[in-house]
Amino acid sequence: MKVMVCLKQVPHQDAKLDINSDGTWIQEDNIKFEINSYDTYALEEALRIKDADADTEVVVVSIGPDRVTQALRTALGMGADRAVHVNDAEAFGSDALCVAKVLAAVAKAESPDLIFTGLMTDDGNSSAVPPMLAELIDVPSATGVLHTEAANGSLKVERELEGGAIEVVELPKPCLASIQTGANQVRYASLKGIMQAKKKPIDVKTAADLGVSDVASKATIDKVYSPPKNATADILSGSTDEIVSGLMGKIKELGVL
Amino acid sequence: MSNILIVAETQNGAIRECSYELVTLAQSLGGTVKSLVIGSGVGDLASQFAGKGGGETFVADDAAFANYSVDAWNKAIRAGVEASGADVVLISNTPQGWDVAPRIAAGLDVAFVSDCFNAEDQGGKLVCFRRVFNGKLDAQVTCGAGKAVLTVQPGSKEPFSGSGDGSTTALSVDLSGVRSKFVEIKQAESTGIDLTKADVVVSGGRGVGDPEKFPEVILPLANALGGAMGASRPVVDAGWLPHAHQVGSSGQVVTPKLYIACGISGAIQHLVGMKNSNYIIAINKDKDAPIFEVANLGVVGDLFEIVPALTAAVKAAKG
Repeated sequence: MKVMVCLKQVPHQDAKLDINSDGTWIQEDNIKFEINSYDTYALEEALRIKDADADTEVVVVSIGPDRVTQALRTALGMGADRAVHVNDAEAFGSDALCVAKVLAAVAKAESPDLIFTGLMTDDGNSSAVPPMLAELIDVPSATGVLHTEAANGSLKVERELEGGAIEVVELPKPCLASIQTGANQVRYASLKGIMQAKKKPIDVKTAADLGVSDVASKATIDKVYSPPKNATADILSGSTDEIVSGLMGKIKELGVL
Repeated sequence: MSNILIVAETQNGAIRECSYELVTLAQSLGGTVKSLVIGSGVGDLASQFAGKGGGETFVADDAAFANYSVDAWNKAIRAGVEASGADVVLISNTPQGWDVAPRIAAGLDVAFVSDCFNAEDQGGKLVCFRRVFNGKLDAQVTCGAGKAVLTVQPGSKEPFSGSGDGSTTALSVDLSGVRSKFVEIKQAESTGIDLTKADVVVSGGRGVGDPEKFPEVILPLANALGGAMGASRPVVDAGWLPHAHQVGSSGQVVTPKLYIACGISGAIQHLVGMKNSNYIIAINKDKDAPIFEVANLGVVGDLFEIVPALTAAVKAAKG
């Protein structure tokens, strides 16, 4: 069995976000990056299949600049077998559909039985790429998956609905599942794993290498900006004693004591 | 915008409120509004929706649509787009919407923008607004020429409550080759922790930093106020607290007299679960945290200083 896992490297959740000079995205210099939180659960879900069946090959794929090597090394250190790095600035800066087209080209070359991705990204907060990828390679998909169970010819998944309800869906393989956070407990790369990862191959390609020539966006970000503050919050300041006395005044007024 | 297709969603035998929110958005975009209702035995619902802003409404009514399947919905919506001649397709960003909508855009090879809270026609261009970086920034996104598919954040518009001319047209959908198979729905397990009945909910987020700090710092304040302890999603994902404590779109939706958010930045998934509380106090070290946009009273500071001191003061006041 072959499992392809799509990873995105995103700004660290605690990174300070400054807007770049042309106002279209954040300033990416001098901030820390990490693997998109949702994608770590997708990788873990794939590695669990490998734990149960040693014949499984886990291939991680990421699109992005040189820095992405670090994310791929981490994934290899956690147990993935090899990596494909699409190092292509134009494809990376394009929209979800273009990213899906590049990943679809990788998927066609790899012919995986299963594709796992994160449900969405922590930076763009978009959940579009996984279903788009599935559509482009004509396989069934399920999003927001909390549990997977691979049988011979199919994958049974549990999708998270609103309010904690679960929808159980069966997909014939090959298929794609986008994984929700909390689906599992994500492992750390062991020291041994990190050492072994140095010898694992990372195949570097461009979109053109994959036969994807049209990387133009159909939906373009004009600008990003701080949300308008329509905040009603009165901000308490001062010493801890002053703040607590302000809070207590309100708590007494609300009659909840 | 010349032709807009609303994909209405049904749940528990009714059209969901978020579908009426799509009517409001479609009307603000201008142009002809048409709709699509998919389901089994949904003729009456479709007529109702048609007369309440849906306009000419296509009905994909088939026993095969009794339960959601991504492949079946994909085929139905593609048929609806073709029958309606739509330039813009509006779908609510629900578990169904985000599952199928990107497939529609990819299949048609057209622009897609997810989870918009607003969209405008600016001189013939479709300009969309959405949150990025978990609510820390907003983005303005413009769709190029050609069709566009948008998913829209539920709750971002007032639901349309008027009426209008409408009609229904049966839509036949070729359902051969459907692969994804619905098995069952499992309702959320009852856990005995009902945050919705508490007068006070004290919740902790990622800022609490450590699972041991919940019983040490957050729970004592909840107990002192006679309330319950809640949590944001990252806390539950990390296994620090069971899912029963989760407040938000995939957890419990609470409206207590007092909600105290400690170390919670305020991702939209959390905000929808608590923003209608009677009174909200937020304690966070980041002054730009989105939680302050829904809070009535905010403290920019260290929760590990404020919360224990507040707990002591509450205990002292109760005597």
